[in-house]
Amino acid sequence: MDAKKAVDALSAPPRPTATHHNPAGTTSDLSVDEVLLLHSIGWEPADMVFGVAWWSVPWGSWQWRTGEIVEASNAFAGAMEEAAGQLRAECARAGGSGVVGVKVDLRVRAQHIDVSLTGTAIRRTGKKPTGFEFISDLSARDFAVLTRSGWTPLGLATGASFVIAPRRTAKQWAAQQGQNVELPHLTEALYQAREGAMARMQQAGISMHAQGIVDVKMDEGPMGAGGRVMQFVAVGTAVKLAASEHQMIRPEMVVTLNDPVVLFEAASVRGG
Amino acid sequence: MTSSAKPSSESPSGESPSGESPSGGKPSSAEERDRTPIDEGLPPDAGRRLAELEDRPGHKGMFTSDLSVNEFLLIKEAGFHPLGFVMGSSIYHIGIQTRRWSQSQELAKLTEAMYNARELAMNRMDAEATELGADGVVGVRLDVNYYEWGSDTAEFIALGTAVKAEDNNSYRNKEGKPFTSDLSGQDFWTLMQTGHVPLGLVMGTCVYHIAHRGLGQTLRTTGQNVELPNFTQALYEARELAMTRMQDEANQLGASGIVGVRLEEKSHMWGDHTIEFLSLGTAVADASDGQHTIPQPRTIISLDG
Repeated sequence: MDAKKAVDALSAPPRPTATHHNPAGTTSDLSVDEVLLLHSIGWEPADMVFGVAWWSVPWGSWQWRTGEIVEASNAFAGAMEEAAGQLRAECARAGGSGVVGVKVDLRVRAQHIDVSLTGTAIRRTGKKPTGFEFISDLSARDFAVLTRSGWTPLGLATGASFVIAPRRTAKQWAAQQGQNVELPHLTEALYQAREGAMARMQQAGISMHAQGIVDVKMDEGPMGAGGRVMQFVAVGTAVKLAASEHQMIRPEMVVTLNDPVVLFEAASVRGG
Repeated sequence: MTSSAKPSSESPSGESPSGESPSGGKPSSAEERDRTPIDEGLPPDAGRRLAELEDRPGHKGMFTSDLSVNEFLLIKEAGFHPLGFVMGSSIYHIGIQTRRWSQSQELAKLTEAMYNARELAMNRMDAEATELGADGVVGVRLDVNYYEWGSDTAEFIALGTAVKAEDNNSYRNKEGKPFTSDLSGQDFWTLMQTGHVPLGLVMGTCVYHIAHRGLGQTLRTTGQNVELPNFTQALYEARELAMTRMQDEANQLGASGIVGVRLEEKSHMWGDHTIEFLSLGTAVADASDGQHTIPQPRTIISLDG
């Protein structure tokens, strides 16, 4: 019984700001200009929202094998989905229709993968709640510019893959010493991780009927185990053209006449 | 995303993951560096994801891009559409070359390693862009990363966003390959406003060993205000070699200039006296025969800060 209560509390943590709807007071980490920009396209901040999920990776997943660690890749996908679900639930409770400026914190450890998402829920001004629309890691400023040019964010598209490269045989190792050669076992593992992660991110975009994924950020490279485990994580925002056609923004060239501020440090002259 | 009617001469020969043009890698500069052929080493997984990005009957493609929203909109403004986030990488074992303590010299084997590994990465990125039917790759970044593999193994990676012109003109360079450019979306838009087109990312590198000074020299200069000519000379020579090689690559592309040149000096893992001089820039050509007028920028004074 207690366990059930604890689980319920986890899935719906009490939020003082979210329980009562207070249109005058909103919490957000947006800057003043971002709030102004949001207002210029008919949106306003509602509340800050969070989502956290920890998924375990079974013992021994990383040992005695080569190829993709499916357990880890699944744990990432599961944690990401759960955290996004919480963000969405919090957003709905705060009366928001979308979440912008989502910061994605990811930690990959041998026994678990945790994801934490932090963002600002926003809603359309002067309207009844219009239902949940999107989660995006674009800033409020980017969201405003994107909206003006006719595009709309659809959601976070993510993908990850973890691949263990095979060991080299002693003969291969010996043949490579002192030479200029590519190391195919590592390169191929990296490619496998990359293709896997990017394909999953693309699948996420396709399932949202996106026309593209912008601002893709990726993290790649070896992690532990003597550099034989390759990770590749990609996160971006899926977007779609909402207007009938792309609106040109017609930028104007300006030259600022401000001089760059040169700070003079006395210490550098004294040699200190 | 209309990828129909491409004017390029790309052979439609099936699904080969390496969309490498038959001419192979970039023609090398004047030096007789032996390059390993690129086609063979392409990992089997390379480019698997790209098929999903393309429009097919019954399948709606989409684009991926690491461009920021600003850059994305500026690329659109310049008349291009992003096709895909393309990458190439190679994990490379760098050989050993003995250096003479008191001699300033280029370390040809290390120079070759830096060229080879970067070209592997660049050509694989090019191959992905070619497969997408791109006209070019913008926002290219070229990085060397060292991890826990030891000091002689590094990851070379090239990343960028493949783009295609929306007016269906081909912007490929005279080698028939997509242009590459390390210009940001903002710089790319500005460059196009001036009537120039990018032709390719050009680079020159030189790994140079700078001689240590002998005891006599050290004693003579102690306490004096003097230039150390052997150091100065070595740095000059290495820099000249790198810059010349970059210019050679630009000449081969028929460029009228190189913009955004950066000169990086890095010791990587080789210790104090061995330095890689790397110069990188985007070769450009004037596509408007000098007819283009550049809009006069408005001058402003910003009141913030």
